[in-house]
Amino acid sequence: MDTNGMPQSPAGDWRSYERMLLPPIQDLHELNVYEEHGGYDRLRRVLEDDEFAPGDVTDAVKASGLTGRGGAGFPTGIKWTFMPEPDDRPRFIGVNADESEPGTFKDRQVMEYNPHLMLEGILLAGYALHIDTAYVYIRGEYTDWIVHLKKQLQKAYEAGYVGEDIMGSGFTMDIVLHKGAGAYICGEETSLMESLEGKRGYPRYKPPFPAQSGIFGSPTTINNAETLAHVPLIVEQGGEAYSNIGAGDMPGPALYGMSGHVKKPGVYEFPTGMPLTDLIHDVCGGMARDKAMKAFVPGGSSTPPIRAENIDGLTMNDESLGEVGSRTGTFCPLVLDEETDMVSFLRRVAHFYQDETCGQCTPCREGTSWLEKILARIDEGEGRMRDIDLLLELCDNMDGGRTICAFADGAVGPVRATVKRFRDEFAAKCQASVHPVSTDVSAGAESAVAATE
Amino acid sequence: MSSFDVQQPVVELPDQNPDPDFSDEELVWTSEEEAQIAAWKDQYPEDQAAIMKVLWLAQEKFGYLAPEVIQLCGDTLDMTFTQAYGVATFYHQYFKEEKGTYVFDVCTCFTCQVCGGYDILHYLEEKLGIHAGETTDDEMFTIQEAECLGACGSAPMMEITNGVYVHNLTPEKIDDLVESLRAGEVPSFTSMTLPQDEEELDGNRRTDVENTETYQTQPRGEHME
Repeated sequence: MDTNGMPQSPAGDWRSYERMLLPPIQDLHELNVYEEHGGYDRLRRVLEDDEFAPGDVTDAVKASGLTGRGGAGFPTGIKWTFMPEPDDRPRFIGVNADESEPGTFKDRQVMEYNPHLMLEGILLAGYALHIDTAYVYIRGEYTDWIVHLKKQLQKAYEAGYVGEDIMGSGFTMDIVLHKGAGAYICGEETSLMESLEGKRGYPRYKPPFPAQSGIFGSPTTINNAETLAHVPLIVEQGGEAYSNIGAGDMPGPALYGMSGHVKKPGVYEFPTGMPLTDLIHDVCGGMARDKAMKAFVPGGSSTPPIRAENIDGLTMNDESLGEVGSRTGTFCPLVLDEETDMVSFLRRVAHFYQDETCGQCTPCREGTSWLEKILARIDEGEGRMRDIDLLLELCDNMDGGRTICAFADGAVGPVRATVKRFRDEFAAKCQASVHPVSTDVSAGAESAVAATE
Repeated sequence: MSSFDVQQPVVELPDQNPDPDFSDEELVWTSEEEAQIAAWKDQYPEDQAAIMKVLWLAQEKFGYLAPEVIQLCGDTLDMTFTQAYGVATFYHQYFKEEKGTYVFDVCTCFTCQVCGGYDILHYLEEKLGIHAGETTDDEMFTIQEAECLGACGSAPMMEITNGVYVHNLTPEKIDDLVESLRAGEVPSFTSMTLPQDEEELDGNRRTDVENTETYQTQPRGEHME
């Protein structure tokens, strides 16, 4: 690759990258096609090879440095080591395919185009952690994909890859699909467990952590659906080789779900650590309608937006995005062009959190609703200058461990960052309303003055 | 004075003892449904965990979850009414009141918002003559404003009655959709082509799906200009 003297990006030579999670193979979702391309061979190797102990799978995942792709980015191998030694209790794995983070639509592609890779990953994780039942929690909106996955799971059962005594090895594991019914909070791991138990999806206090007392009080690991689809690749390539793909702090391939004002939105597979400018201009064909860019939201609503002038040289990994006070989240960036009204954008973000808060903790229940009210007031042109600082003060009273789960932190992150980084836009909307509101508020102070005369 | 009112409207409490919409004769499971519920119970260590699946079944059977239907679901799994009602009211997709035959869940969350989701919503509202949250007089259509449905690449989009997704909406597409739904034709599943496949697989990754569509960025909505 011609680097033009520029430092090589962590994604390396991404133009010649060969896809692993969603390889370009027609009908890969069919079991027979998947088998032709080495499907379930990794599982067979692990189960039949006596030298491959369950702990070796965990060690490989640990060595690979795989981080969770669900948004928090916790190292998967370390999470697995939290599981206690097997005792007489049943053990569960919860597969988080709830995917409700706004802007995120990548797990769906794995479920549709390469479901057996995910199922194989679940089975490998089950073998590594001595788990007998996996619950795949899929959001209720994905009806078509649940039907699709059910069909493929049925085929895997019939072929003897799932169920009792898999491949004659004595390892038994069931996979159960659990359909959600439209609650964002159920993507939070303890809330997901409550929902699985047939209760309202209220997050639980931690500790006890899921590894000690999870679903039905048994040891549980919760992993994102895409994260588990990486596990067969790690077993195939070895942890060391896998850790050399992409950025050092969160290695491996990643599914980039590009959306917003780009010419070619959609899900792309590339190594982690993609330069943001390459993602927008080379991968997605540039900005839609050739407008200039205003903001870049790296991965879902709870990741702080970055101003367009700051994105040069940044790459899609936490280390790099951390320099400008953001993070990768779910690897599903939203690109906003110069015409976007950041106040109205943020008002919609706040509305989302207001709508989806479970209402268990007061700072979050009341705070999200006030965030929306204040933002609505500013957006309607009736805000006062002090409302901007009021927003920031409200944020300080919501996050930082004042609530049971991290939902409030997720709600506060974008508000704080957007207000700080685009303060001029908020101020402009507040100033226009010193006088009675004219029909043309956005024209600024001038039109407001005219309206009073 | 400011015309913007931040005060909450006074909320009227719902009727505490409404007349049941379903009679006792209707509120029974068929033997197939009972077998299905028994199979679901076996999937979990505790029966209560099957409540979400049973509520889904009830919603498909009765159309919506009236209190007596929730009671039936709770009784099936030895749960109290309060427990079952708590679950049914926590999740958006369980209908607690009667809806139209087709429920349009129009996504207006911010990705769809910046791609014109509100224009689609407003166009649909004007076309059907109702606001979001309401049902047409002929009980055919309900419009709802939905949070992110996880199809941001094909924004703006909507979901029809907790089922099929319709991507890359335009006013023309809505016209066709409403017309075909009036004729009883529900659109089938559409597979979205991944942009990387367009070059290597001519966009056709799944041969078992008739409808494939590519992602496209919609012209920006008028309300954003």
